[in-house]
Amino acid sequence: MLPFVVRALHRKTWTLLIVSIVSFAVVHLAPGSPSQIDPLNPRFTREQLERYRAAFDLDRPLYVQYGLFYQRLFTGQLRAFKDNQPVLPKIVERAWNSLPLFVVGTILVWCFAFPLGIAAAIRRGSWFDRATTVLVFALISVPGFYLAYLALIFVVRTFEVDVIGMQTFGRAAAGRWPWLMDRTWHLVLPSLLGATAGIAVLSRYVRSQMLEVISSDYVRTARAKGLPEDDVLYRHALRNGLLPFVTMLGLLVPGLIGGSVIFETIFAWPGIGRLGYEAILARDYPVIVALNFIAAVLTLLGTLLSDLLYMLVDPRIRL
Amino acid sequence: MRGTKGALIAVPTLVSAVLLQSYFWVPTFEDQARGDPGRLTRYISATIGDAGILNPTLATDTTSGEVNGLVFEGLIDRDLDLAFRGRVAESWRIFEEAYLFADAAVPIGDGTPARPDTLLARLRAAQAAGAPALRGVEAMEILAGETETIELAPATPGPTARPVRVTVRRPPRLKFTLQAVDQDFFTGLDRLLGGYVGRLDPRRYVEAPEPDAARRAAAEHVWPAEANPVIVFAVRRGVRFHDGVELTAKDVRFTYETIVDPRNLSPRVPDFEPVKRVETPDAYTVRVTYQRLFQPGFESWSMGILPEHLLNRDRLAAEARAAGRDPATFAVRDSAFNRRPVGSGPFRFVDWTSDVALRLRRFDGYWDGPANFREYLIRVIPDLLTTEVAFYAGTADTYGAQAHQVARLRDDPRFHAVQRLVLGYTYIGYNMRRPLFQDARVRRALGMAIDVDQIIRYLLYGQGERTTGPYPRQTPYYDPTVAPLPYDPEGAARLLAEAGWRRNAAGILEKDGQPLAFTLITNTGNEERKAVMVIAQDAWRRLGVRVDTLELEWAVFIYQRVDKGDFDALVLGWSMGLDPDIYQLFHSSQTGQFQLNFVGYRNPAADELMVRIRQEYDERRQIAMARELHRLIAADQPYTFLYVRRALSLLDGKIIRMVPGPDGQPRYLPFVPDRLGRVTYHFDQWIKTPTPVRPPYRPELSPG
Repeated sequence: MLPFVVRALHRKTWTLLIVSIVSFAVVHLAPGSPSQIDPLNPRFTREQLERYRAAFDLDRPLYVQYGLFYQRLFTGQLRAFKDNQPVLPKIVERAWNSLPLFVVGTILVWCFAFPLGIAAAIRRGSWFDRATTVLVFALISVPGFYLAYLALIFVVRTFEVDVIGMQTFGRAAAGRWPWLMDRTWHLVLPSLLGATAGIAVLSRYVRSQMLEVISSDYVRTARAKGLPEDDVLYRHALRNGLLPFVTMLGLLVPGLIGGSVIFETIFAWPGIGRLGYEAILARDYPVIVALNFIAAVLTLLGTLLSDLLYMLVDPRIRL
Repeated sequence: MRGTKGALIAVPTLVSAVLLQSYFWVPTFEDQARGDPGRLTRYISATIGDAGILNPTLATDTTSGEVNGLVFEGLIDRDLDLAFRGRVAESWRIFEEAYLFADAAVPIGDGTPARPDTLLARLRAAQAAGAPALRGVEAMEILAGETETIELAPATPGPTARPVRVTVRRPPRLKFTLQAVDQDFFTGLDRLLGGYVGRLDPRRYVEAPEPDAARRAAAEHVWPAEANPVIVFAVRRGVRFHDGVELTAKDVRFTYETIVDPRNLSPRVPDFEPVKRVETPDAYTVRVTYQRLFQPGFESWSMGILPEHLLNRDRLAAEARAAGRDPATFAVRDSAFNRRPVGSGPFRFVDWTSDVALRLRRFDGYWDGPANFREYLIRVIPDLLTTEVAFYAGTADTYGAQAHQVARLRDDPRFHAVQRLVLGYTYIGYNMRRPLFQDARVRRALGMAIDVDQIIRYLLYGQGERTTGPYPRQTPYYDPTVAPLPYDPEGAARLLAEAGWRRNAAGILEKDGQPLAFTLITNTGNEERKAVMVIAQDAWRRLGVRVDTLELEWAVFIYQRVDKGDFDALVLGWSMGLDPDIYQLFHSSQTGQFQLNFVGYRNPAADELMVRIRQEYDERRQIAMARELHRLIAADQPYTFLYVRRALSLLDGKIIRMVPGPDGQPRYLPFVPDRLGRVTYHFDQWIKTPTPVRPPYRPELSPG
C-alpha cells in the first residue's frame, strides 16, 4: 500500500502544479479588471489607474505575478485587493462558517437518500416508487433559489421567526443552550435546501445500485436457500450495494471549502461560497486564486482518500 | 438484520427531530420586538454588500461610505437646501492671493519698464482713482525674486533616461490680496497695464539644456500671473474624537497629507491635487491654498477627519513592527485602524463581523448633542428578497423598494415611503467622430423618434422622470425651462430629410449613396439598458435607419470600444455629483483615449463655459453659467438624454422625529426631505415608538 501512496502523491503533486498554473492564468486572462480600478470613475486619472495597477503588481509580466502570488501565499503575506486584509485568515474564518452547513447538509443527504433509494428499489414499480420518482425529479428540476424563496417566505410568515444569518440577529445573550439551539435552527433551512438536490440525485443512484444487486445471482441464491427476505436485502444485498458509495466519502473533502453561493446569498450566511463569488465579481485575484488552489489541494487529497478507502473495503482491487 | 432496517428509518427521524425541535428555542419576531426594549433605540439598516475599508480617505463602496459618514465628520456638509454648512469647521472665509511678475525687461502699456516699485506705484494710483480692476484688492506688496533649480523627470521614461536639471529665475513679484476670488482679475489688470500681463512669456525665466525641457519647465513651474484661492477654516473648539482627544487643525492637515501620500493610493487624490499647501497657523485655524482656481474643490472638505494621534508616523511604525512588516512601506492603508476606526462623528464604531453586520453606538460626547438612537446596526443581506422579508419582519428598519413594487408599497400604512430622484441619468451617446453623427439634426431626429414617456411607463413602471441635459435634476444647475425633445417620428423624418437623407427603394434612408446604418451597443448585465437599446433600435428602424445592436461584456465594452472610441452609438448612464463641474464629460480636451468625453463632443462656447464654471466662486454666477451650458448642450444633443430613475425607500412606520418640547414632553415632527429627497438630514432626532405615530408623514415628490 505504501508504494501506491508514494506514487499517487508524486503524480498528484505534478497535477497540482499544472492546476496552479492554469487556475492562475484563467483568472488573469478572463476579461475584466479589479473593481478598485474602475475606468469609468471620473475621479480617476490615467496616472492613478497606472499607480493602482503597479501597487497590485498588475503591470508585471504574468509569470512574475505567478511567482509573487505563490510566494506570498506560502509565506502568509497574501492580501486581498478589496480591503487589504490577509487572505488566508479570511478563508479560514469563512470555511468555519460554512462547515456546519456542509456537515448538516451531508448528514441530511445520506440520512434520507439511502432509505428512500432502498425503499424505492425494493418496492420497484409500486405507487411508492413512482411517487418518489416524481418527487425526486421535481426536486432536481425546480431551481434551488426558487425553492429557497418559497421556503423562506413560508417559514417567516407561518412561524414568525428569523431564519436568515447564522443566528437570530441582535439577540441578547440568553445562555449557552438557547444559543446553540438558535444556531441549530438557522442551519435547518439552508442545509435542508442545500441537501434537496443531493438527496434527489443520490437516492436515484442508491435505487439503481440496489436494483442491480437485487437481481444478481447471489441474491437469488440467498433467497433460494430460504433466508428471510429482510436478511437477504439488508445483509447480503445492501453490503455490496453500498460499496461504490464509499468512494464518495473521499470526494466530500473538497466540499469543506465549497460552500453554496445561492443558499449562502439568500440566507445571508457569511460563508465561503459568498466570499468566492464576491471575489470573482470584484476580480479580487488573490482571493480567487487562493481559493482555487486550496480547492485543488483538497480535491486531490479527496481522490487519494477515496482510492485508499476503496482498497480498504474491497479486497478485489487491492494492489 | 432488523437493526439495519430499523436504523434506516430511525436515524433520519431522529436527525429531523433534533433539528426541528430547535424551533422552540428561537424567539419570534413578536418576542424580539416586545421583549427587547433596546429595540426602540436601535436603528437597523440593511445593505447588499459588506464594507471594504472604514477610512473616509480610502473607501469607495457605499456601505463603507454609510459607516464612515456616521463615524467620521468633515469640516463642512450640506444642509436641506444643499448649501454648505459648517460641522467641524465653525466658519470659513474664501479669498484670493494673486501674484504677478514685475519684470523690468517687459514694458507696460506706455513703454515704461515694469520695475516692481514703478508697477506698484502705478497700481496704487489707479486704485486710488477707483479703477474697477482693482476694486476688490485689499493689499498689494512686493516680493523679492528667486532662483530655483528643479530636477525635471525625463520626458520618455526608460532605463537610460535621467532627470533633467533646469534653473528657474523668477523676477520680483507683486502680491495682491483680494477680498473674494475673481477669475477675471488678471484680465482687468492686463487692460489696466496695456497688455503687460499677456506679454510675460514663461519661457523667458527658464534655463535648460534642451528646448523640450525648457518648454515643460515653463509650463509646469512658471506662472507669471498666478491666482491662488485661499480657504481659511476656523475649527470648532471642543470637538472630540471618540477616544476623548480633541480634534484640532493638525488632524485636518494630517487627513490631507494621508490623501496625497502616494503609498495610500487614495481615490480622493484628484479632488486634492489642485491644493498647493495646507497650513495650520494655530490649533484652530486651517489655511488651504490652491494653486489655481478650482471651485469644485471646496466640497472635498466634507471629507471625514482622521485622528492624527492614532495614525502618525510613530504609531504606524510601532504597528508595523508588531505585525512584522517593514515600517518604511507600512502606510495608513495598511493599518488595522481601517477595520476599527476612531472618528469624531455622532456614532462610534463598536464591532464588525465580516459579511454579517457592523455595529455602531451613539457617541455621547458629540459636539452637536447625542442622537436619539443609541445603536446603529448595518446588516449585510446580499439578497434583495431576503432584505424585503427581513424588513417586513421588523429586523431591518429600511428597505429600498424595486420599481415594480412601488405602486403596492407606496401607500402601505405600515411604512413611511420616501421617494426621491436618483442622482444620475441614462442616455444614448453618439460618436461624433463618425461623419454620420456630426450633423446635430441627425442626433436630434434620432432622439425625437424615441418615445421616452413609454419607456418610463412600461420599463420603469412609471418610476422615472425625463431629463434634458447634463446636470442632475435636483441641483440648481439644471435648467428647468429646457423642454424635453418631443416624441415626434414625423418631425424626425422631416428633420432627416432636411439633412439630406431620403428613403431608397428598400425603405432605408440614404444620402449620396450611403445608407443611414450604424450599430448601437451597451454592456451586458444591465437589463434596463438592454431594453432601451432594443426600443431605440425598433424606433429607428421605423424611421428607415438600419440599426444593429450589440451587447458586450463590461471590460470589453470599456477597454475595446469606449476607451478607443470604436463605436457608433451607445446606451450608458452617469452617476453625478452635486457640483457643476462636468469638464471631464464634455470638454473638448477630454476626447482622447481613456477619457470620458468619448462621444467626442466639441463646442468652443461650451468649453469656455466649463472652464469658467470651474473657476467661479460666486454661486449665483455659477448657476447662471451652468444653466447656459445646459441649454447649449441640450441644443447640440451629443447625447439623447433619456430619463432619471426614481427610488422609493421605505422606513418602518414606528420611526418618527422626536424632539423635547418646551414642557419636557416629547414632540413628534414630520420628516423633512432635502433637495435630493433624502430625509436623513434630521437623523439625530429619529426614534422608534412602540406603535406607529399617526398619521405617517408622506413627503412630496422631489422638486422639479
